[in-house]
Amino acid sequence: MIKVRNLHKKFGDLNVLNGIDEHISQGEVVVVIGPSGSGKSTFLRCLNLLEDVTEGEIYVDDQLINSPKVNVNEVRQKMGMVFQQFNLFPHLTIMDNITLAPVLLKKMTKDEAVKKGKDLLRRVNLEEKAQSYPVQLSGGQKQRVAIARALAMNPEIMLFDEPTSALDPEMVGEVLDVMKDLARSGMTMVIVTHEMGFAREVASRVLFVDQGVIMESGRPEEVFGNPQNERTKLFLSKVL
Amino acid sequence: MITFQEWFSDFSNLFYKCFIKEDRYKLLISGIGVTIKVSLLAVFIGILIGLLIAMCNLSNKKLLKWMGGIYTGVIRGTPAVTQLMIIYFVVFATVDLDKWIIAAIAFGINSGAYVSEIIRAGILSVDHGQTEAGRSLGLNAFQTMTRIVIPQAVKNIFPALCNEFIVLIKETAIVGYVGLMDIQKAGDFIKSATFVAFMPLIGTAVIYYVLIKILTLLLCRIEKGLRKSDVR
Repeated sequence: MIKVRNLHKKFGDLNVLNGIDEHISQGEVVVVIGPSGSGKSTFLRCLNLLEDVTEGEIYVDDQLINSPKVNVNEVRQKMGMVFQQFNLFPHLTIMDNITLAPVLLKKMTKDEAVKKGKDLLRRVNLEEKAQSYPVQLSGGQKQRVAIARALAMNPEIMLFDEPTSALDPEMVGEVLDVMKDLARSGMTMVIVTHEMGFAREVASRVLFVDQGVIMESGRPEEVFGNPQNERTKLFLSKVL
Repeated sequence: MITFQEWFSDFSNLFYKCFIKEDRYKLLISGIGVTIKVSLLAVFIGILIGLLIAMCNLSNKKLLKWMGGIYTGVIRGTPAVTQLMIIYFVVFATVDLDKWIIAAIAFGINSGAYVSEIIRAGILSVDHGQTEAGRSLGLNAFQTMTRIVIPQAVKNIFPALCNEFIVLIKETAIVGYVGLMDIQKAGDFIKSATFVAFMPLIGTAVIYYVLIKILTLLLCRIEKGLRKSDVR
């Protein structure tokens, strides 16, 4: 589904990604862990081209996406993204946040989008908030709406960039529950997170990223239970 | 020591001489019309130009940036009267357009430079995460700008934009230089005709004040509407 070959990313003189090769298949839930500044968020943001790629290739459904010929907007419609800071649109109601993109991009009529929006809000347990504005919601509720907003476009892949890092501790659970549900439904997901417990429970595969390369990749019980790489061991000894 | 009665009768005599006699109030009323006409059209042109220049200044194309910079630089670096006269006597010298329209174009061009800076600051004040969220959903740059960034920027720039409009209305008091009879010019005309300075000039000031007071109240109401989504 997603193939990444020799991905490099530079910010000025700073090498953030130093050659990442990775293959993510349909239905996989890939959790990316690693120390701050390791490049894990940049890796995720390269996948939907929020960062332009310095070198290397990214294929989505066998289509090379980091090429000037490709319509980036169409590629992004296949990939939902959830941000650390939620980034809900504060000037729109919750329902309008969800329906804006599908209606504007002519994926659905307004009525269909509202119906879908209601379904999605029910799924994240926020039906009664449809007509509220983002400012009236708690952090956890905002993030659940952000997930619903991304799902409204019927994406094939969902990208999560530290979705619980900006939340108060008591709200982390409700967001992770929604993500677990989503994983169980078979959605292909790439998740950057510091929630090791969640990674262990939900991931089909864990990537440990450090210094801009994938140091270790494997099933969660392998990576957490019996890490092979020295840096992985060091990192896990600090966070677990 | 003069009594109140004496003062009042002097005052009403002056008032009569300046405003009622020979229907002089009509001059002022038509002057109000001219000021409003010129200001409204100028505001409209100013916003259009301002938006355009702001986009130039924010774009990553070097040429557009450069052009935007020159525009703002030249307009801010020269007096409005000079610009008005150049536009009226040079640029539109041979064009057959109503005087007030030419004046409005001149003021619009002038205001556009200031408005562009206000708009630019407003757009930059919207968190970059908003743009990323829009783009990540598959919206193109234009859709993201018009549906997500600008609606939020409007709220941030509205007070500064109102201020600019108020400045603009007062700025139009120089249209007398190109022979338009606005409020200021009407007051001036009455002053010359009656040899009284106090009454027509104070009258002019009062008219501008009331006009701007009304506008301010109107704009405050609009702003309240804009802040609807901020209410918890």
